[in-house]
Amino acid sequence: MILAAFLSEWVKLRRRTLLWSTYLGLAAAASLFVVLIFANAPATGTGGGLPSLQQLARPDGLVFGLTRAAFLLGVVAFGVAAAQTASEYSLGTLRQLLVRQPRRIRLLAAKMLAVITFMLLATAFAAVVAFLVANVMAHSRGVSTSAWFTGAGFGHLLKTLGNMELAVIGYSILGLVVGQFLRSAVATVILGFAWLLVIEQAILTRIVPGTAGWLPGISLSTIAGDGNSGFGVSYKHGLAVAAGYVVVALVTGAITFARRDVTA
Amino acid sequence: MTVIEATQKSGDRRASSLAVSTVQLTKRFGDRTVVRGLDLAIPTGAVCGFVGPNGAGKTTTIRMLLGLIRPTSGTGSILGGSLTDPASYLHKVGALIESPAFYPHLSGRDNLKVLARLGRIPNNVIEPALRRTGMAERAGDKYRSYSLGMKQRLGIAAALLPRPELLILDEPTNGLDPAGIVEMRGLIKSFTEDGITVLVSSHLMAEIEQVCDHLVVIRGGELVHQGPVADLSAGQRPDIVVAPEHPADLGRLIRLLEASGLLVTPDSNEDTAVVTASDASAAELNRRATQGGITLRRISERTHSLEDFFFQLTTEATTNPNHDMGAIK
Repeated sequence: MILAAFLSEWVKLRRRTLLWSTYLGLAAAASLFVVLIFANAPATGTGGGLPSLQQLARPDGLVFGLTRAAFLLGVVAFGVAAAQTASEYSLGTLRQLLVRQPRRIRLLAAKMLAVITFMLLATAFAAVVAFLVANVMAHSRGVSTSAWFTGAGFGHLLKTLGNMELAVIGYSILGLVVGQFLRSAVATVILGFAWLLVIEQAILTRIVPGTAGWLPGISLSTIAGDGNSGFGVSYKHGLAVAAGYVVVALVTGAITFARRDVTA
Repeated sequence: MTVIEATQKSGDRRASSLAVSTVQLTKRFGDRTVVRGLDLAIPTGAVCGFVGPNGAGKTTTIRMLLGLIRPTSGTGSILGGSLTDPASYLHKVGALIESPAFYPHLSGRDNLKVLARLGRIPNNVIEPALRRTGMAERAGDKYRSYSLGMKQRLGIAAALLPRPELLILDEPTNGLDPAGIVEMRGLIKSFTEDGITVLVSSHLMAEIEQVCDHLVVIRGGELVHQGPVADLSAGQRPDIVVAPEHPADLGRLIRLLEASGLLVTPDSNEDTAVVTASDASAAELNRRATQGGITLRRISERTHSLEDFFFQLTTEATTNPNHDMGAIK
């Protein structure tokens, strides 16, 4: 039963230090973006790419801060997910798990579902905290929030949350599979962060023009930012490319997990 | 001894059933053959010692039995389930593989909970398993705070969760102090009272000798010997140690006994001679010495330990996989 394996994974995930550090860390990071945006927003026009107070008063003003934090949430999701699979190899616990659940695909699917659920809840929690902080900041900067609580405002809210959760699913799956291949939590997190934060964003896109639309991190970040990744990639294109990466990761991850000898 | 003979000989309890049987089980990693054509026959209810030098292929074999490593060739059956379908038998198997591996930030109890939930094992078996291994009091502490012996005991507790019919223990006494080893011995013996078949690999031959009634010896990935431990001692005559009253007579005594066709090894440090696996009785040796004018101050039997057998078996340059007692006499 996948449910049994799923509940088993949650015994590990609900560990207090992991749970609170992830949930509070993400909430703090998202809130920080909100605070910075509201604190530095000019009265009108744009300043350094920041929205103005006028723009923040629009129906989509509530989600400005969160969309800017989306990429960071994705990177954290990648790291947490990667550590979950890689540590099973480095601790040697995978052999214990496979003796109790020899149907490997079932075990892998349950682990993915558990980690994705964990990250979806963490993202939702961060979003709720960020929205509360946005309300406080709006009050302190004299920004009217009445437009936020209209039909259009709620529409923006749901769309932003949906896109962020979609991207988090993608980041989590890529993290789980890369962690499974590298079998070392530290190596996976370092490599993942270096790829997403430096290699893609600062090196590849500058050295090889036109690659931005074909990179996994930028594609997922495009989804998370509702089509605004800063690299001129459309939402649909980002969605298609990210889906391709996720499918390839799932298939190769499942095949290797099912067939590879467990010697750790 | 063939597999069939081994099965027949060891079958005083449940002759017809084997808990573990493999036929030509082989594992290759690239060009390296780690396990070669292994034919195992472990009777149900046995406590089977699984021994061999480092790198003999014990852990690889155990991992193949547990579905962790895919055999390159060969077939097998565990508790009636096929080796190719580990799910058909692993719910009846408990295992401690090499060093215990758990999540350091979880308590001992939560670590067992992870495994119990995964195997759809009811939570109410966790406490009895902890009590049986003496871990109940420290079960709420984080695993990382445990001593090596406690980690090992938690590993055994985890292996007991599915109420196993077969328990596979890979080096269960690793890291245990003498008291812990005695405790582990008692624990393993108690498993047989519950009708559990135990396959235990260890480097400590004295431990194997004390708890096992069946033995499998492998070397270089090949089977060297398997069968009941009782057969080893039953098939062996003890050596006889003799010492003349006057050390100066030792050379003459050896020549006298060798002239009778016996294999004699001097031990000049102790002024004794060892008559190897002699057909002659102690009384006969005494009579021959007396007839030669030598008075003996000591005649004693020296039985072979399992360790002696192990070294003979694993150092002999034989490639006969069905090696039997005759070959080590």
